[in-house]
Amino acid sequence: MKKKLLTTVASVVMLSSVLTACGGNNKNEASPSASASTPASNSPSESASAPASVERFDVSLRHIQIGELQKFRKAILDEVVKKSEEEVPGANFELDAVEDSFNRWTKLPAEMAAGNPPKIFDVFGGPAEGQKYARANKLLDLTPILDELGIKDKFTDTSTFNVDGKTYGLPLGASSEGWFYNKELLEANGIAVPKTLEELEAAFETLKGKGITPIAMGSQAAWVPFMLVNTLIARYAGPDIQAGVANGTRKLTEPEVVAAFAKYEEWIKKGYFTKGELGIDYTGQTNEFIAGKTAFLFDGTWRASTFSPEGVGKSLNGKVGYFAFPAVTGGKGDQTAVNYNQNNGYAFSSDVNDNEKAAIKAFIKNLYSEEYQVRGFKEDGVLPSMKVDASKLTSEDPVMKEVLANNAAAGTVFPHFDSLVAGPVNGEFEKQIQNLIAGKSNPQKAVEAIQQAQDKELAALK
Amino acid sequence: MNKTLRNPYVYLLFVLPTIGLYGLFFIYPVIQSAYYGLTDWNALTTANFIGFGNFERAFQDDDFWISVKNNMFFILFSVFLQVPLIILFSLLISGVKRLQGFYKTTVFMPSILSTSIIGILWGFMYHPSIGFFNKFLSWFGIEPIYWLSDTKWALLSILITNAWQWMGFYIVLVLAAILAIPKEINEAAEIDGATGFQRAVRITTPLIMPVISIVVMLSIAGAMRVVDIVLVMTNGGPAGATEVMASYMVNKAMKYGEYGYGTALSIMIFAIALLLTAIYQIVFARRQERVEY
Repeated sequence: MKKKLLTTVASVVMLSSVLTACGGNNKNEASPSASASTPASNSPSESASAPASVERFDVSLRHIQIGELQKFRKAILDEVVKKSEEEVPGANFELDAVEDSFNRWTKLPAEMAAGNPPKIFDVFGGPAEGQKYARANKLLDLTPILDELGIKDKFTDTSTFNVDGKTYGLPLGASSEGWFYNKELLEANGIAVPKTLEELEAAFETLKGKGITPIAMGSQAAWVPFMLVNTLIARYAGPDIQAGVANGTRKLTEPEVVAAFAKYEEWIKKGYFTKGELGIDYTGQTNEFIAGKTAFLFDGTWRASTFSPEGVGKSLNGKVGYFAFPAVTGGKGDQTAVNYNQNNGYAFSSDVNDNEKAAIKAFIKNLYSEEYQVRGFKEDGVLPSMKVDASKLTSEDPVMKEVLANNAAAGTVFPHFDSLVAGPVNGEFEKQIQNLIAGKSNPQKAVEAIQQAQDKELAALK
Repeated sequence: MNKTLRNPYVYLLFVLPTIGLYGLFFIYPVIQSAYYGLTDWNALTTANFIGFGNFERAFQDDDFWISVKNNMFFILFSVFLQVPLIILFSLLISGVKRLQGFYKTTVFMPSILSTSIIGILWGFMYHPSIGFFNKFLSWFGIEPIYWLSDTKWALLSILITNAWQWMGFYIVLVLAAILAIPKEINEAAEIDGATGFQRAVRITTPLIMPVISIVVMLSIAGAMRVVDIVLVMTNGGPAGATEVMASYMVNKAMKYGEYGYGTALSIMIFAIALLLTAIYQIVFARRQERVEY
């Protein structure tokens, strides 16, 4: 009995390995039937026009468009991949979906260290990521490709992907960060849309008094609360604070920055954020807002599509409004400034052969087009990262309309710290924000610790 | 043939392949790690030799010492709470006449589950609004506890989960030792009028001391290298409250690309683990007498 079983298992293993080998042979050629039929053809003209057998090659593509929340962006990516595969004979894009922060903080850095990143991958710009990889010669210089495709001047800003005048990455879209609010909840509690910081805080207080959590917050990953802190700092210390701190001309220890942190701490202490926020992730934060448990959500404009009739938060369709962070009395600089980021996009491995380069070129040509910039905007609320005919950027979506109106009213824009400072500084920022939430730090201590990390980085550069 | 076998070099020839593999996969990486620990290697650019700079930094790195402290909590929890419970459950299971196999399998089950599954499962149980624990507490009118997001509770929550995962494995070890004790010894004690409790404390427990000693040592070693359950459940959060040495090292090396510093930390973790195990061996394990029935 035992022997029989062993024989059966052995034959199954042998058979399957033989079959796998056969399958492998087939896979290496894009159109084996075409190549086989060519010699059998009678007409010489026909045989000349028949496509020659093309070696099939794989192009690995790492993206972060996973889950229901990203379904519109994934659809665009699939279309671009299909088009590119049709244009480049033999190209087979191998899609590898990885969750955003895991890709950003764990997988991609490890692959970069090991020297085997995917050929095409999602990456963030700035000295902590994209520029660091570019300086280590891990990224493909896109300047000649952009010249060849004639789209070099089409991008509004690729600065966080530039090193020494060369471009190494292309932002997929742009975004602003501001307040989303639940219209029904505000109306039900007799709250008008806040125009000033005082009105906003009064709204928080009213909601809190009625047992409703004012702001949805999931701070398990610190980049989520960092969005709000980043804008608070710009309101109190001016829209040039991020760039100033990054180049050393300004300090986080300035009283205005401390005031911004103090305001944030005050909101924490008053219980304006979701209880247990340090254990809630980003999806959890969105869900809190969708469920109508909270009235406000500070998030990127990419969240707008969530509330469309097809979005995950369709229950809130037509019931969500958006406004930029209100002016702060006594705040420095332009109080209408909005945050504007073009820091996430695709970059490409420097280790590519001619075939892969051709596939990459097709991918860039197809993805970075006006068509997809407009579609990304209309379907998904992603603001364009390229110069697009303004007349095409209209939206029927009520939230997107408000986003556009708010951005149009902005005098200037300011970036996010994480696109300008080095990794350890960003890490210290995140640590201090979480410590503030946990009550383990105070505004003064927090800014001093971050500035110290930044001073160290600046000193290392000299 | 006999002549060949008398030549000591022949034996060397036999062990050479193994030594080669051992060298390639163990000795070489250890030496390489020791070297990288002395550099500022970021895995992207050339490594610069910086002497003991990384170690100096580690000694001044408060966050690292917090993570060391958390590992110590794991050890204390394992040795002073987990081990007594392991002995108690083993004694109870060894005493049951029926369904002993069922109990053995049941307690062993968690240790064959993947840590990710356990992390997610317990994550649900600790959920502030729908979790089992808070539901239970709410029957007594107790306010919800934010188990995994409150800095006061997070580490304890992970300690409990970790204990649940590994206790069964040790119980089976101890149980095997208990069942190996000759029945006559306990029977003789019973005839002499010893109660069940007295027999457990005075007869069984001393006889299984060597196994308990191994369980304690394994617990210490396990507590030193714990990381997976932390990464799955809290990723070191909230605000670093559950950061352990290994998760801190992984974060420094991977997230911030400080591979040189990360390597130095891993050497320190190794040294701390070695030190603690040595202390345990010298102070406690050596005192154990050999048990002969």
